[in-house]
Amino acid sequence: MKPLPNECYYIIFKNLRHNYKNLFSCALVNRQWCRIVISILWSKPGHHFKNKKLIKILLLSLNEEEQVQLIPFKITLPNCRKPLFKYANYITSVNDDLSEGVRNWIRYKKGYELEYAIERCLILLFLRICKLKHLSLNGPICDRLILKNLYENTTITSLDIHNNDGGSFKSKATYGLLKILNKKTTLTSLNLRSIQFGSNKLGVEGVKALAFSLYENTTLTSLNIQSNDTNFDLKFYIQSIEILQ
Amino acid sequence: MDNGTSNSASENETITLKSCDGIEFHIDARIANRYTLLNNWNGGESACIPNVNGKVLEKVLEWCEHHINDPQLNCGDDDSRRRNTIIEEWDENFLSCDQDMLFEIILAANYLEIKPLLDLGCKTVANMMKSKSPEEIRSAFNIDNDYTPEEEEQFRKENEWAEDY
Repeated sequence: MKPLPNECYYIIFKNLRHNYKNLFSCALVNRQWCRIVISILWSKPGHHFKNKKLIKILLLSLNEEEQVQLIPFKITLPNCRKPLFKYANYITSVNDDLSEGVRNWIRYKKGYELEYAIERCLILLFLRICKLKHLSLNGPICDRLILKNLYENTTITSLDIHNNDGGSFKSKATYGLLKILNKKTTLTSLNLRSIQFGSNKLGVEGVKALAFSLYENTTLTSLNIQSNDTNFDLKFYIQSIEILQ
Repeated sequence: MDNGTSNSASENETITLKSCDGIEFHIDARIANRYTLLNNWNGGESACIPNVNGKVLEKVLEWCEHHINDPQLNCGDDDSRRRNTIIEEWDENFLSCDQDMLFEIILAANYLEIKPLLDLGCKTVANMMKSKSPEEIRSAFNIDNDYTPEEEEQFRKENEWAEDY
């Protein structure tokens, strides 16, 4: 049988991209197949982000700077032998199952602070080494460093900020987001879920600034804003954007 | 009706293709145009296809002929075409050949840049791998395992999440 070039194997395995178990079997066939399969298997882990085994492998990729931030929490990071591949490099899409994966890894033990710290380190890792296209961010972990790295990122096209845990997206973070929207960004899709503008004193001015940035932005083709905050009539601003556009 | 195949070649025009082992095929010129079969075809009456032998070229041309009236897909449609795992009955019968021929067709489609046939061949191979263990895949495709036992064990551990639902 004639061997196929790698690009053909890539198309073959791409057909199996939703069947992780099958991809796993293909990767175990031989080394050549493995190298091709890995890039597909790790590209979009999807609901597997919930799996603590996956989180454990990702934590092995943290650099010193990222690890140092977890010292105050006195947790033991995984300490296995060097992984066969730099798996995290292949990730292109991070969804909000990451939060649950981190919770599973720490076994729901030590509360939000540790959970957010680990999640934040992983997001910093992704922003540092991945060619991310889609990123789902837990609102409360968005601090200056994450926003700075997001600002400098040139690959993400779809950004989703959620507050599933009832935590809050700080008003300062909103201004960071405005900076990102105001620069020439690669973002084409923005999804702000359950943003609590009012409770963090973002104020009418903040909401207006957000509305104005969105109005000025020329790259977004998809926008979704949900707020469970009744103090501000966000709908009014959103509608005004739609009318203007 | 414009079915995406309109081009300069008229229905009765034929050209001669020659495989690498010298076998000649007289084909409808529209096929050559439709599937950009001949990157080095200068519009003359005949052309040579290196790298593809007569047996394989005959199969490839049979497929092209059957699909001559398929709508042209844009590059952007690549993903949607691949997402569809259903293979038409005619194509399924066409590719239920022996494995060597299937791989030869994929190679030829790749070489001749016939994307739909390449995708179809790859999809067929992917279907043959479904629900098989690594050992079963190795024996189905006659592949040697070149992992060391330690490596294999480590790889399993690092990727065992993929085995869980």
